[in-house]
Parts: sequence; C-alpha cells; structure tokens
Amino acid sequence: MIYLDNAATEKPDKKCITAAEKYLFEEYFNPSGLYKSGYNLHLELKEARRNILTRIADENNFSLVFTSGGTEADNQAVFCGGRRGNVVTTSGEHSAIFSAVNELKQRGIEIRFANLNSDGSVNEEHLLSLVDEKTSLVSVIHVNNETGAINDIFSIAQKVKEKNKYTLFHSDGVQAFGKIAFKLNNNIDLYTINAHKIGAIKGCGGLIKKKNLQIKPYLYGGGQEQGLRSGTENVFAVKCFEFAALDRYSKLEENYKKVSELNKTMRKLLDSELFTVLSSENASPYILSIAAKGVRGETILHEADDNGLIIGTGSACSSNQKKRYSRVVLSCGVDEITADGVLRISFSPENTLEEVKAAADILNKIVANRKRIMA
Amino acid sequence: MEKVIIIRYSELHLKGKNRGWFERVFAVNMEKSLKGTKHEIHRHSGRYLIENFNEKDIQLICDKLKKVFGIHSYSVALKVSTDMDEIFKAAKEVSFKDGSFKVETHRADKSFPLNSMQISAEIGGRLLDINEKLKVDVHNPQFIINIDLRENGTALVFNEFFKGAGGMPVGTSGKGLLLISGGIDSPVAGHMIAKRGMVLEGIHFHSYPYTNMQAKEKVIELAKTLSVYTCGMNLHIVSVTHIQEEIHKKCNGDYMVTLLRRFMMRIAEQVAEKCGAQCLITGESLAQVASQTVEGMTSSNSVIKNLPVLRPLCGFDKDEIIERSRAIGTYDISIQPYEDCCTVFLPKHPVTRPKLADVLAEEAKLDVDKLLNEAMATLEIIKI
Repeated sequence: MIYLDNAATEKPDKKCITAAEKYLFEEYFNPSGLYKSGYNLHLELKEARRNILTRIADENNFSLVFTSGGTEADNQAVFCGGRRGNVVTTSGEHSAIFSAVNELKQRGIEIRFANLNSDGSVNEEHLLSLVDEKTSLVSVIHVNNETGAINDIFSIAQKVKEKNKYTLFHSDGVQAFGKIAFKLNNNIDLYTINAHKIGAIKGCGGLIKKKNLQIKPYLYGGGQEQGLRSGTENVFAVKCFEFAALDRYSKLEENYKKVSELNKTMRKLLDSELFTVLSSENASPYILSIAAKGVRGETILHEADDNGLIIGTGSACSSNQKKRYSRVVLSCGVDEITADGVLRISFSPENTLEEVKAAADILNKIVANRKRIMA
Repeated sequence: MEKVIIIRYSELHLKGKNRGWFERVFAVNMEKSLKGTKHEIHRHSGRYLIENFNEKDIQLICDKLKKVFGIHSYSVALKVSTDMDEIFKAAKEVSFKDGSFKVETHRADKSFPLNSMQISAEIGGRLLDINEKLKVDVHNPQFIINIDLRENGTALVFNEFFKGAGGMPVGTSGKGLLLISGGIDSPVAGHMIAKRGMVLEGIHFHSYPYTNMQAKEKVIELAKTLSVYTCGMNLHIVSVTHIQEEIHKKCNGDYMVTLLRRFMMRIAEQVAEKCGAQCLITGESLAQVASQTVEGMTSSNSVIKNLPVLRPLCGFDKDEIIERSRAIGTYDISIQPYEDCCTVFLPKHPVTRPKLADVLAEEAKLDVDKLLNEAMATLEIIKI
C-alpha cells in the first residue's frame, strides 16, 4: 500500500509512541494531583510545552495551550478572538475556521472573506481593504490544506497591525508546523498547531498565543492550561507530540529537500495530457493539488484505493450539486469541470521515490482508462 | 399487585380458520422484539398478556412493542385477584389525584356475583368516599378506570390505552423485495408494506467507484432501522457500474435513468425469484421526479415477467412521505449527503415521458443478457 494522503493524517512515528508509552501505563497520574507523581507529570507537561513552543516561537513572548486538536484551537481563536465588530478571513480556510466564522455570523458578527489568487493563496490587497477600525480578528491560513499555497502571514500581519493595531491576528498553521521553516513574531497573536500531521497521534493540538494577550477560555472547568482549556491533560498524546516535534525540527531542512524531490518527481511523471497541476511551484512541497479533467476525483480515489494507492480528493462528496466541489478550489477561480476532478496528493518524509513513481503510474493508467470509458 | 401489559391485536379476529396461525406468528414476532428482556407472553381469549418482567424495563418493553405490527393497542395494568377489596386497591392505585372519572367493567367471568354495572358503581363509590377531589362524569370523564374480570379468577385494572403500530403481523402476508436507494421514499414504502404483514428483503444498487462506501453504509443503516419493524431483513447489494458505463457509451444519454431502471427491475426480479419474494416494492411516487411518470413506470414495468410491483407511495405528496419517514426514524439517515447510483452520469435533460418503442430502440444497442449476468455476479448479501 502506498499512502499519499499525509495532509489528512500521517502514520504515527513508532519511536515517538514507544518513548511516550510509559505515560499510559506507568505515569498514568492526573497532572493536577498534588502528590509527587502528579506533580512530576505537571513538570513533564511543562517541558513538552516548552519543547514544542520553542521550535517556532520565543517562550518569553508566547505561551502554548494544549487542545484536542487543530479544530478546537481554531474554534477558540475564532470564538474568543472575534467577539465584536467584524472578522476578516480568507476564502481558503479549513472548515474549522470557515464553519466557526459562519456560526459567529449567526451571533451577529460581520464576516468578511478575502478573495484568493489562482494558486489558493490569499489576495493580500483585497484582504487589507477589508480590515477597518472595527475589525476584531483576522485569520489567515498559513499553508493552504488543499493546494499547499503558502501565505506570507508575517507580512500580512504587519500590514493588518498598521491598519488597526487592536486587531488580533490568527493563523491556522496545521499544515506548516514541522514542515516549513518559520518563526513567529510579535504581529502574530494566535497560531494553531496539530500533532497528528507530523507523526504523533490524533486528538492533540495546540493554540499558541502571545503572552500578554487576554482571551477568554473556550472550555470551562478545572482550570487546566492556564485556565484557558479545562479538562485533564492528555499527557501521553502531548508527550508523543513533543517527541514528534523535536524529531521533525531536528531534520526540517533535510525533510523539506526530500519531500521537494518527491513532489517534483510526481509533477514530472503525471501525464500532462490527463492532469492539470493546480499547486504553484512555490507551494509547500508537502501538498500537491492536481485535477483530472472530465473524471470525477472521487472515482479516481476509489480506483486508486483498489489498486493499493491512497490519496485524497479536494472535494467533499455531496449530492448537493453546489457543494460537490471544494469551495476552496472554486475560490481559486477554477471551472467546475476541473474542480470535479481535483485530487490531493500529500507527502511525508517517510515516502520514497519508488512509491511516487508507482503512484504516478497508477494514476495515469486509471485516468486514461476512465477517459476511454466516459468519452 | 403485579404489573402486566395487555396487548390487543388489530384485525386477527377477522380471520377465520387461519386465526390460530396468525396468532402464533404474532406471538413469535413479539418474542423476537422483546428478546433480551425478561418477560413471559401468555394468550388469553382475544388478547395477550406480557407478565413477569422487571418493572424498571416497562418503558423499554413498551417502546419495543410500539414497533410490532399487529398490535392495535396496549395498556399497562395491575393484575389482582377478583376480590372486591383487591380490585379497589388497584383502582385506587391507577386513579388520578383529582378530576372527573368513570369506571368501566368487563366481566368475562359471568359467575362473579356482581354484574358489570354493580362492580363499576361499587368501586366508583368507594373511590369517591376516600377522595373528595374526585367526581363522577359518565359522559365526559377526564379519565376512565377500566376493570377487566377474566375467567381465571384475575382482574386487570388500568386507566389508559396506548395506540400500537396497527397492521398485520409480519410474516402473515408473504415476502416482498424492496428496492432501496438511500433516499427518503423507499424505506417508507417498505414500512407500509411490512405493516400489512409482509416479510421484506432489500435490494440496493451501487456504482462504485463512482459512488463511495458511505453510500452503501447509509443503506445498511436504513435497512437496520427498518428491520426493527420487519423482524430482520436480508439486504442484497448489486453493482450497476458497468451497466451505467455501457449505457453512457452506447445509448442516448437522456435515456440513462429510463434504461437503468429497466435493468434494476430485471435484476430485482431475478433476485426476488432466488430469495422467494413474491413481489417487488418501490418507493416511486407519481410525478415526483422525471422518471416517476406513468410513462416511466410503463417502461420499467414492462420488463417484469411474473411478479406484481407494489408502489405504495404513488398517491403521497413529498411532505407526507417525509412525515412518515420521521416517524419511523429513517429520515435523518436518508438525508445524509451520499450519492446513490442514480446521480452519476445524470443527463441534463432526462426523458420524462419515454415512448416504449424509443426505449426499446435504445436498449437494442446493449447486450442486455450479458450485462445482467455480469451484474448478478456482483451480488452480495448482507444479513441485517
């Protein structure tokens, strides 16, 4: 089986899981416990928090709140950051932001969507034109999860702050963390990260926030996570996350180079008669969005699956014609026939060139055959 | 005082010499439905009593009974001996705290010294004596205390009748094969026919890889929900992918749905014959969509050789169907957004009033027998 849907989730890294195993069976205590074993876990969490946070941010200026994953962190940013006036975001956001801001709209906050460029990145100029004195939150995805387009969130955040210094700036970095090189600066107030996209386990993520920033909790209860996210900490998952983050950042460049090579090879080997590449050259190499003109993406997905290749589609399947295409891909200005055939190939550093070659071969064959049948 | 549930059945009393058989099937269905819950079912002239259950299970048992076809109504009653003091105690128990009431007595045990009127008057009088807030109103009472004196020296006392699912016991009207798509209509059609006593099997057509596994799972969920009413069900699943591809390649695309439906009916009839079903059931409603015109039905019906095709929803509006699907619990499953095979290759302008001659001309372009055999080879049976 060749697995090329790594942007959906990555295969857990066995050595990280093994290293964290003792937090399941031996160190199973509640980190809030006042006894030594509990306190020790509290220290372990602190270390994990520090080790994860300092990969991308200065611990003097930022803190990290562990959450149940990227979706929860995004929701907290939206509901606790966008409490008044208007919220500006992009048409290229993950559903965790898109659906959350739509709910915010129901609660009386005006939502403004910035247009996308053809590669899925946000049109900066349009975004800035939407920001005014009443904007409470701007949220821009760092690496687009469908096309891999990288938004220059640092430049955008700075310009947003120049227009309105009280506006909070959030970015969903789920597809960026552990994959591309960057450091958060003071213009970024909130930043979402996630564990299972870098080889840790599902059900764990985090919201990085500027230290002096006061936001309300999203979940109330026992006051864990500096009062911002109550609920007994998932120490095992957090430690997996820590080990995976340390591992990924120790070979960030090496991985980047390797994945870039895989990406380039895939682009080269896919038959240009059959596929259009939607991702731009300078997108994150981890994600490659392609479209098979005239063949539905999901059909190819199932056939590839039957042939031992797992990939993703850009489109959520729905009998509602309007919803059949990915809203993000349509926002890039792609026509509906192309949007219908969108596939997402996403790599991990664990993938090999041989896998990519075999995958390209399978995809070329399937689409050529489908085109013959559907013609 | 023991709590029991009285079950009254619908039309079984209309049946002549078959009545014993009807009643046996009915009892077996109730047993199936209550499997896993402690209880005993006893038949007493013209009704069933459910006894010896744990009192905490009473709601659970009633909920299950609501889905058994053949039950006209049921009541939760107190079972006591035919001693007037005992009956009075039970009557006190089921009486409201205040309001108007009357007592109605049935006396199957004609040897009892008091007649029905006298028992009612006696019990009603005693209730008035102990509770000033009660008053008698024989024309428009707020509640009725029912006393049922059985021949075996027991009396049943209760104050409420609950409506059952009605219909005939499943298994008394033969077996039918339901064409189930994943939409709102077909489960409702199946439910209606099962209600008249028919055992159901289901058949579903899919177009993998053009449709996904979730669409199939959805149909399995629908069948599961339906199977509670039908005391189990087999689901036959057949791929029509290649048929759709061949129609797409060789025929006028506007006839896709018309031609596909003819294939579905043919496959369904073959499957029905295999599994012993005596009719086909579809969720078609007249004029609901392009293919459900009388001409469309003529076209799909004309391939059927032997079996009748029941279309119980023909006279229903969509909102009536939705209301029923909510009531039987299939609506929320049906509206999940997974495509069934019908929407793949969907023409922009489907033929709404196909002429049989045109349909036959289009179909002549296909090797019908070969495609049928191929489709039958993909048959998969899931026991729900």
